[in-house]
Amino acid sequence: MSCHKASKLVAIVDDDDSVRGTLQELLRSAGFSSRAFDSAEGFLASGNQQETACLITDIRMPGISGLELQAKLNAERCRIPTIFITAHGDEEMRFKALREGAVEFLQKPFDDEVLIESIRAALNR
Amino acid sequence: MANLAKMKLAPGPAWFVTLRYGLAFASVAAALGLARAFVYFHLPQPFGAFAISAIALTFWYAGTAPGILAAVLSSLVRSYLFDATTSTESRVLFDLVFLVFALLMTRVARERNQLELRVAERTAELTRSNENLKREIAERNQAQYLTGQVFECSPDAILIIGTDYRYKRVNPVHARNWGRPAASMVGMHVADLLGAEFFEQRVQPFLDRCFAGESVRFEDWFENALGRRYSAVSYSPLLSDSQRVEAALVIGRDLTEHTLASEALRHAQSDLAHASRMTTMGELTASLAHEVNQPITAAVNGASTCVRWLTRDEPDLAEAREAALGVVRNARRAADIINRIRSISKKGESKRQLIEIDEVIREVVVLLRNEAERYSISIRTHFDVNLPKVMADPVQVQQVVMNLIMNSFDAMKDVDRTRELVIRTRRAKDRQLMVSVTDTGVGLPSQQSDQIFDAFFTTKSHGLGMGLRISRTIVESHGGRLCAADNSPHGASFSFTLPIPIDSPE
Repeated sequence: MSCHKASKLVAIVDDDDSVRGTLQELLRSAGFSSRAFDSAEGFLASGNQQETACLITDIRMPGISGLELQAKLNAERCRIPTIFITAHGDEEMRFKALREGAVEFLQKPFDDEVLIESIRAALNR
Repeated sequence: MANLAKMKLAPGPAWFVTLRYGLAFASVAAALGLARAFVYFHLPQPFGAFAISAIALTFWYAGTAPGILAAVLSSLVRSYLFDATTSTESRVLFDLVFLVFALLMTRVARERNQLELRVAERTAELTRSNENLKREIAERNQAQYLTGQVFECSPDAILIIGTDYRYKRVNPVHARNWGRPAASMVGMHVADLLGAEFFEQRVQPFLDRCFAGESVRFEDWFENALGRRYSAVSYSPLLSDSQRVEAALVIGRDLTEHTLASEALRHAQSDLAHASRMTTMGELTASLAHEVNQPITAAVNGASTCVRWLTRDEPDLAEAREAALGVVRNARRAADIINRIRSISKKGESKRQLIEIDEVIREVVVLLRNEAERYSISIRTHFDVNLPKVMADPVQVQQVVMNLIMNSFDAMKDVDRTRELVIRTRRAKDRQLMVSVTDTGVGLPSQQSDQIFDAFFTTKSHGLGMGLRISRTIVESHGGRLCAADNSPHGASFSFTLPIPIDSPE
């Protein structure tokens, strides 16, 4: 099974309400439409994987982590361009994420320009 | 009078009876002998007079019965030996005289006996009251001696201050405290010794209350010849016979060493508790940083959003305003968390206040949420919403709760089953409120469950083994108890109690 990349949908997965909400608002102000999920499980269950053009996910979350989500999607042959945002990222984690196909690995709090550019790049792939 | 009758009837020993009756015979015989001698020398026959003397003598010294015997004997002797020639009339007259004399003497003897008894009784009474008096004097001397010993040998300062605020008496301890002889202080005004200002502000108010009849106790620091001393002082009114307060009995106990030691102990305990809190916070650095970083990230997102709405070709002020409000909210949240961390890390004296236990626990849970997430531990809280407030130091209670939660985290880090922590508050018996922290971890160490509260006992590779020890000290200093139990089927349960204040509603 592979993913369709027709849409321009951006998905956000973060367990922290305020980060998730403000991120969605930031994307809206930049002209992107997005859907937000409070867990990786929620995103997987939504059935939105196919139409997601870009995934922004936190790494450490209760239940399935961001890296595990990436691995699961890769296993489903659904390679969504993924941007990781984390508060505890170290070099090893960053290297692992990028090796698995992540397009960006951002430390919280992040520069909005960098994020927006990364999303644009992902959508224009 | 019963006593008197008994004494009168008492016959006495046999030899004494013989002696008494013998006196009757002897005295009459003597009268006879003397009368014979008079007759021999041709003097007038005087037996009657001698016989009367003999009868009187016998009555006086030997009593009534021997006296009567003497009278009868005298009558017989006179009848047969001297009055052969006398007429019957004069014989009868003589007998009558003896009889009347005997009767008279009977009465005299009785009066004398009663008098003697009365004298004896009075003497006995006097002796008794004399002995009582002696005993009383001895007792009074003993009491005086004891009072004196207490006054002189007491380790406390004891003094008596008159209503004129002058010393009436001071003991050696007080004299030593002020470095001057006791005698020199008697008659001195208290203000002259303590200084006018100190006297007026810190002594006179208490003394006046005492003079009004009240017993007063207080503790304070005093400056005397030994330096700065902490004393517990009591003022008790001394009453005169007419029940008026005429002086104050002042007893001062020097508690300086005791107070300094307990202050040092309190400081040490506070330092230790602080060090332990800092250690815990150190372990939590990563989690706490994350906890602060989240709202900061949200605030930065909001600020970026705001700028974007404002820098568009057609700025959208409503959206920008909404985003800016989000910035404020999230920055406040970050500041709140930092304040919580700071209040736990703060070093300071214990401050007790009325606290809502649920609120205090919630603050700790907020700080530990991320740490729980890190180890995939879920935290559930069951708070009894109807609990009254308790009097406690919120920082110390947070330390206890944090310590119990962190222990539970440690106990669950390596178990493969559901990792769940449940915090419960409820009302316990005996006006206590109970907080329990239950986990699904490895449980209490089976062999050493009674040692877990000991200092330096630890099952962890890190940590000093002071956490539970300090927690127990904190809980007990609040009048509560901290105990541990195994949880069924897995894990451990720690609970502590805090007393509910008396004046809060049932």
